[in-house]
Amino acid sequence: MIVGTTDITPQGLSIGRVLPALVATAWLGALALALTRLPVLTIARNRLALGDSLTGSAALGGTAVLVLGMSALAIGLLVSRRSTASVIALFLLLPAILAFLHGLGTGAARSLAELSPAARAGLGSGSWLTLTLLTGALGLAVRHSRRPGLGLATGLGLILALVGLGWSGALDALSLAVEYAARRATVNAAIGEHIALAGTALVLAGLLAVGLALFRRGQGLVALILGGLQVVPAVALLGAMVAVMSGLLRAVPTLRELGLSALGPVPAIIAIAAYLALPLWRGLSLALRAPDDDTLQAAEALGLSPGQVLVRVRLPIGAPILVGAVRVAAVQGLGLATLGALVGAGGLGRIVFDGMAQFAPDLILLGAIPVVVLSLLTERGLSRLEAAARRRWHA
Amino acid sequence: MSAPLGFALTGLALAGASHPTVARWITEALGEPARRPVSVERLLDLTRAHLALAGIGLALVAVLGIGLGILVTRRFAEPWRPAIDGLAAAAQAVPPVVVVALALPVLGFGGPPTLLALVAYGIMPVLRGTAGAITGVPPEVREAGRAIGLTRLQILARIELPLAAPAIVETLRTALVLAIATAAVGALAGASTLGTPIVAGLQNQNTVAMLQGTAATAALAFLADAALLAAVAGWRVIRP
Repeated sequence: MIVGTTDITPQGLSIGRVLPALVATAWLGALALALTRLPVLTIARNRLALGDSLTGSAALGGTAVLVLGMSALAIGLLVSRRSTASVIALFLLLPAILAFLHGLGTGAARSLAELSPAARAGLGSGSWLTLTLLTGALGLAVRHSRRPGLGLATGLGLILALVGLGWSGALDALSLAVEYAARRATVNAAIGEHIALAGTALVLAGLLAVGLALFRRGQGLVALILGGLQVVPAVALLGAMVAVMSGLLRAVPTLRELGLSALGPVPAIIAIAAYLALPLWRGLSLALRAPDDDTLQAAEALGLSPGQVLVRVRLPIGAPILVGAVRVAAVQGLGLATLGALVGAGGLGRIVFDGMAQFAPDLILLGAIPVVVLSLLTERGLSRLEAAARRRWHA
Repeated sequence: MSAPLGFALTGLALAGASHPTVARWITEALGEPARRPVSVERLLDLTRAHLALAGIGLALVAVLGIGLGILVTRRFAEPWRPAIDGLAAAAQAVPPVVVVALALPVLGFGGPPTLLALVAYGIMPVLRGTAGAITGVPPEVREAGRAIGLTRLQILARIELPLAAPAIVETLRTALVLAIATAAVGALAGASTLGTPIVAGLQNQNTVAMLQGTAATAALAFLADAALLAAVAGWRVIRP
């Protein structure tokens, strides 16, 4: 019998052992590059002008060394893969992230001190790379710590610390904070609109999925139509919705009195719901078929009515699949809602598109960051619920 | 009627609807004024640009996604699987429009931000699909390959990949549809694609142009999907 190479090499040399050390070295190299060579801040005369770059050593001074040192220690502890070491690494990475942000804030304030009030300090590529590397390592530390609940606590702790940092005014000099301060009301309203858009579409798609799951004969046709709809690019479906809506409003003018218009949230919600219907319908049909025949026969033998079988047997057993489908649909809906701004539906997409039109990076970020945060929170939250449902009903 | 044929016919019908004359009829039937339709030559130019952008993106996504998918199923990568799955889920939380928007200040207007969005959003589903398909190969078959003296590379090439192929093709179909949709979104960043008449039509309230773009983009998606399905069906006939 021929055995693969990794089986016969001495343990100390196998790829599996060397790889973590290699990845850790590459990670540390990238972090050093981001902190010392790449621009962490760009200082510009105004919000649209191109700026001069400042490297980490220039903008952060001693903080850069501190962050690098803490991270090197943390990544060394992470390579060991031991659970306690990972917890220590976590408590090194968390302050490193906050120290880095604080350093950016003070560095920006110092650089802007002698300039005109219109001058802006934006985040450069070095900052983004540093933050990505540090949060990635933080995620790995949470995973390797194998302590249930630590991930949630870390996430909440990080959010609270960030809010505290923002509140204290330490970040006020950063361009993103200046932009947010100028548009606080608009951004907050857009977040609400965005959630409303995605939420309404999700509910509409859910109702549609339930309706479609009801008629048994046509399931093949339903699969074909919903599958075909997925092929249509979202930009095209939104355009088609606007054309159809304006035709409909012209044919039935009374609809206009109900507050409908060709542009606005309604066509966007219908288009988004059309995409979300497939994952929800598929999840629902799989969930209803999840219990095996023996279980169903046992339920029947106990004298449960079809309605009781649905509520007490089919839905609980299918619950994880159903929650999984809702998770996929909800994340997709939040993404598609961004595109809704194209047809005047509002939401965070409007801020993103305004930023693109003005070529203002901070404005784009102001719209993009909440979209990503909302999607990630939804993803994490619903996958937790999915896991809980699996534990509860499939123990 | 089989799905590829249905998709092909839908695509052809939509392509017909994007013709200036037909689009003008539809617009007038909707009661909108039919102004300045997009000429056939311009539509064909945009189609070529759209296909080029989506094609390059899809090729990158396929090579990187399948390559990395194979890598993560190798033994040495086993401990990294949960981290990679977590990364895949996180990458899906950043919608293509947002990637296009974020890349705009760095990469400038046009194709590059669109291409980045295409790769960033498409690579993880293909990676995950490939890894899932290879992991789904029954261990007995792999053991049998080992027993007859195949090396790891031979097991991959002769057993794992052929058995995983149908599932990998399914993920590539998703990636193809995604590539065409993202190329349309790229119009927002100034890339010249079939999304351009839609975005411009919405801004200038030019319903004909918007309808033409809409029909042409959807037609392209349906025809490309049908072509991929037909290619796979043809492949199965030649090498059953």
